Amino acid sequence: MPALPKEQVRAAIRAGLSARAEVATPPRFKAGERVVARNIHPLGHTRLPRYARGKRGVVQRHHGGFVFPDTRAHGLGDQPQHLYNIRFEARELWGEGASERDGVYLDLWESYLEAEGST
Amino acid sequence: MNGIHDLGGMHGLGPVVREENEPVFHEEWERRVFAVLNLTLAAGQYNVDELRHAIERMVPAAYLESPYYEHWLHAAEDLLDAKGVVTEEELTRRAAEIVKRSSAEPGRAHEPPRAAAAPGSTPDAARKRGK
Repeated sequence: MPALPKEQVRAAIRAGLSARAEVATPPRFKAGERVVARNIHPLGHTRLPRYARGKRGVVQRHHGGFVFPDTRAHGLGDQPQHLYNIRFEARELWGEGASERDGVYLDLWESYLEAEGST
Repeated sequence: MNGIHDLGGMHGLGPVVREENEPVFHEEWERRVFAVLNLTLAAGQYNVDELRHAIERMVPAAYLESPYYEHWLHAAEDLLDAKGVVTEEELTRRAAEIVKRSSAEPGRAHEPPRAAAAPGSTPDAARKRGK
């Protein structure tokens, strides 16, 4: 990958660089939609935590397109996807002993998700 | 990968330690590791996802027993070696020189860059729990 021009290094270290990227296809999900995190166990890098796999959640918002860590970690390119914020109820993740008010919010890439009832 | 980094939901790792007025770096070597990582990223040697994955590939017991910036250092060494920027032999030789020099200076006995703490009980390990 190309080196950052010298005059941009200071700003990049202070503020970070954007991982936003254009995605050619329209987003598959919208806010309010019920989704299920796929039960995947890739041998490589993924940003989908184990405790969320196979769990149901609700789309809170569509963040836009972002580069895909699962391919970038292995030299397979940016392959941008739509990124969504998903709320998982604490009871869905941790069982009936968890608070019924709590939830966990995860930013998840589109290929991690299925529409609820689609599988 | 289903690695040791994916700790969400695990029990027995101790409380999340919150430090009052926590400094950005606890040790001078952490500042250097931060710089090495950021400058090698800026130089285009690797991307942040490769870095994260290099940390995920750490030996699980070593991951739990080492502080946050040691994970960064491991990733830098692993990736710079894999990409042919430095060799393991060069790293080992240079580290030996530094250890020898610092132990020769009075009052600066070499200490490993690690706080003495039980495995998994460092603030960094505890923080990782919620990540």
